[in-house]
Formats: sequence, C-alpha cells, structure tokens
Amino acid sequence: MSKNEFKGSKILLVEDEDSLAVGLDYNLTEEGYKISWAKDGKQALDYFEKQEFDLILLDIMLPYYDGFQVSQKIREKSPQIPILMLTARTAPTDRVHGLESGADDYITKPFHLKELLLRIKGMLKRKEWYKKVTSASPVFKFGENEINFSNFQCRAGGHEFQLTQREAMVIKYLIDNEGKIVSRNDLLENVWNLSSDIETRTVDNFIVRLRKYFEPNPAQPVYIKSVRSVGYVFNSEEN
Amino acid sequence: MKKWHTFFHPVLVFVVAQIAWVSLVGLWIYWYVSNYIIFNKVGDKLSPQLVPKSANFFALVSGLVLLVAILVGLYLTFIYLNKQLEITKLYDNFIANVTHELKSPLASIQLYLETLTLHDVPPAKRNEFIHMMTMDANRLEKLIDSILDVTVLEKKKIAHNFHIYTADVVIKSILEETRENFRLPESALVISGSAPCPCVLDQNAIKIVFDNLVDNAIKYSFDPVQIAVNLSCSTKDIIVTFSDQGIGIPVKARKKVFRKFHRIYGKNIPSVKGTGLGLYWVREIIKYHGGKVTVSGKGQSKGSTFRIEIPIYQTSKRRYINQLLKLTRKREQQQDSENV
Repeated sequence: MSKNEFKGSKILLVEDEDSLAVGLDYNLTEEGYKISWAKDGKQALDYFEKQEFDLILLDIMLPYYDGFQVSQKIREKSPQIPILMLTARTAPTDRVHGLESGADDYITKPFHLKELLLRIKGMLKRKEWYKKVTSASPVFKFGENEINFSNFQCRAGGHEFQLTQREAMVIKYLIDNEGKIVSRNDLLENVWNLSSDIETRTVDNFIVRLRKYFEPNPAQPVYIKSVRSVGYVFNSEEN
Repeated sequence: MKKWHTFFHPVLVFVVAQIAWVSLVGLWIYWYVSNYIIFNKVGDKLSPQLVPKSANFFALVSGLVLLVAILVGLYLTFIYLNKQLEITKLYDNFIANVTHELKSPLASIQLYLETLTLHDVPPAKRNEFIHMMTMDANRLEKLIDSILDVTVLEKKKIAHNFHIYTADVVIKSILEETRENFRLPESALVISGSAPCPCVLDQNAIKIVFDNLVDNAIKYSFDPVQIAVNLSCSTKDIIVTFSDQGIGIPVKARKKVFRKFHRIYGKNIPSVKGTGLGLYWVREIIKYHGGKVTVSGKGQSKGSTFRIEIPIYQTSKRRYINQLLKLTRKREQQQDSENV
C-alpha cells in the first residue's frame, strides 16, 4: 500500500458483524487510522457524542438504530463529517434513502478492500480540500440564496436549512466552474474522487436535491441547468 | 401518500365492491318490478296480446344469476389478489433477510482473502482470520441449508421418525442437548415441572424447535441470558413453556412472528441477524405433531413466553397421531427391506 498522508485520522467503524469488523479494523489500523468500533446503532451514537471523528464507516442493518437513523442523527449535529455507508442492500431505493439520510457515499457488500481504502482516503482528502477552499471566502450568494460553506448553513428566500458535506461540495464545485459545462464524470472524479464506473445516477440525485433547495421552480431550473447528455452548468444570475 | 395507500387497501376495495353489488341487485329488482308494472298497464291498453298472462320471472332470475356470477367473480379475484399480495410481501421479506445474511459472510471472506494477499499477516493473526473465514463459511452453509430445507418442511418430510416416549424423559434429554449445543451454563437454562405422560414425537424435529427457541432467546435477550422451561400435563396435552427475560414481542406482532420470513425491526431490537424462518419452523413442526404454539409476554423488555402444546398419546387427536406412527412404521419397514 502507498504511504498514507492521513495517518492518525480517527474513524468510527459501525458494524455488528464481528468477523467483518475484525477484518476492517485490522486493515484500517494497518493503514494508520485510529479505529473505534461500535457494534450497534446505540453504541455508535454514544461514541459519536463522546469523541471526535474524521470519518464514519457505517453499516445499514444494525441493532437498535439502523444505519439510516444513525446517519440522520449524526447529520443533525455534524453536517461536515464524511459518512461512508457499507451495505448489503443494492436496491436503488436503499441507495437513495442512504444518501438522503445524510451519507456521502456508499459501498456495497461484498467489496474490494483496495476500493474501500481508496474511497476512505478520497473522502478524507475531499474533507481537507474543502476546509482549505472554504476558509478564504465562506459565504456565497446567488439570487435569493446564500450558502455559508464553513458551516453548511443556507438561506433560500426566508427559509434556512443545512446542507450535507457532499451536497456542499457538489454546489461548491459547480460554483467554482461557473459558466462551464461540468460533466457527471467531472463531478464523480472531483467530488466523489471516484472513477466514473459507478452509476451516474448518484450525481443526478444530488443535483435534484440541490435544485429543490435553491431553484425557485425545480422543474425549470435557472441556476443549475442540465446540458443534455453532457452534464450541468451553473450560473449565479438568472438568465 | 400513506393515506391513499390505506384508501386502496384490498379489504376496503372489497367492501366497496360488495356495497356496489348489493345496490346493483336492489336497482335491478326495483327496475324490473317498476317496469313490469308500467309494461303491464301500458301493454294492456296498447296491445293486450303482447302482455304475458303470468309474470315473466325468467328475466328477473337470469338477471339475478348474472349478478351472483359477478359476485363470485369478484370474490375469487379478491382472494387471488390477496394471495398475490402476500406472496409479493413474502418475496420482499425473503430478499431483504437473505441478502443481508448471504452478503455479510461473503464480504467478510472476501475481505480476509484480500487482506492475506495484500499484507504480510503475522501467523497468530492469520490463524484468527482463517478461523473467522471458517465460521463465515459455516454460517453460509447453515443459511443455504435452512432455505433449501423449507421445501422439505413444506412437504412435511422434516418430521418422519415418530415414536412413543415419556414426555418428561425425552423433552429433558433434548433440552440438555440444546443447552450443550449453545454452550449455555446450567443456570442459563433452568428446567422445572414434570410431564410423566406419553407422547408421540420426532426427536430431531423437536430439537430443531428447541434450538430455534433458545437461539431466539439468546439473540433477543440482554446478557446474561436466562431461560426457564416448564413442563406440565393438562387433561389432553403436554405443555412446554419457554420463558426468557428478553425484549419481548409487541402484542400486534405476536401472531405474525410465526409467518415465513417475518422479522421485526426497530430501535429496541438488539439483533438483526436471521432469515425470519426460525419461528415458522417451530410452528410448522409443532403443527405436524398435532400441537400448537403461542407466544405471550408481560410487555416490552419483560420477556416472552412460548407455550407449546403436544397431544398426550391416546388421549387427544388419536386418529392423527396413530396415522403418524403408522407412516413411520411403513417407512422403517421400507428401509429394512431395502437394506436386506
């Protein structure tokens, strides 16, 4: 394995299957991460309350609170922490549900170890990158919308809400490339840090959510427009 | 969204269809009677030879027959629709349970294989990983067997070795085996009472029942697990009760837990492992023994009590039990002749 620049990052591993957790614990520790292992949803929330983590690796089918509930509860308190869902469920509804509950990404069981490690590294990298780019100018305004990238607080019209880290990263990437066409693959590679072999529907789901937040009429977007068969383009002014 | 869903519930649709049908019948009778009177009056004046001498009940009866046929059609459609819905639900549950149960051990095996390939794992860790993989492989085998055995269970072949025993002796000995299987200390599974009456059972099948009940008690109890088994005889049945100190089963779910692939999820549930087949097996096996199983409890986190009733030999369900013994004898004779 290559040298890991994120050595020492704290990961909360939430997995009720002993055998899988022992293997994951070993591999992540070998990579230099510090692991806390929670065996159920209750314990996960308990650990999250008491300690600070850099990333959460979260199984869905858990005793007491399932992964969706854990993710939702964590998101209410910390919009920035990256959550990677580990799931045996592959149905599109489960994936959408996972992302809606606040997860930033998901990986399905059985998974390849190298891919899992790369995704974790990618998420930690994104977190760092995001911290850097938002520290200079945290607030961005367009139309009646205002996004504070340091705490993900948003205002659209009179309505205030919070973005997840991944949502903020997607809109940040679009804003940074204002006026240019951004393909789904660009987003996958730069926001998800993934090669484009995963389903592009993941990107589309995020765009649908962002439009719901910021567009006056999500069916006829004015800020985040689709470019047929290519991707999306962001314009901060209505035209 | 949910409200609309409730609105289209099959039972509601059926009730509405029934009301529509009854109104239609009423309307038909009303139309026939009123038209018959008008036709009689008008027909008499215009052309008396057109009006039949007696009332024409043929039209009335054929109309009613047609409506009854519609009712039967509706009823059959309703039954099959309901069955179809149940099958779809069952299939969804099956996929949800089995996906998790299949993929988790598979993911674990794959993870260890890749770990052993990528890292130079020290021997002690390597042995631990191999042990984990063996456990996962066993879990997969058990899961596949339990799914494949459902067909055997449904063809009523799972219990076939029926003999007459003294309930007390045989049940205590099976319970002891179960206790050893789960490596439970004696204090964790306490047997009380006695049932010195004769019964007919298949030891292997009853072992599956006890194993499942104990497995559930362990999965849904907080440490340390505490199971109390009580034996007694009523006038007709041998009664075995299994009481645990676990999370209990909500009243609403008590009947459903015996259904195939049914599982309860929620924030009070300490385990998500399982296929949803355990209690289905329990019910089917006990039913095949001519008995019944029910569950009760004192409330949330106050444990569950499973009550099994098996007929006392020659006292209750004589014909059915004798038939079981006859089938066993026949099968044994067949086996003997094959061996010779």
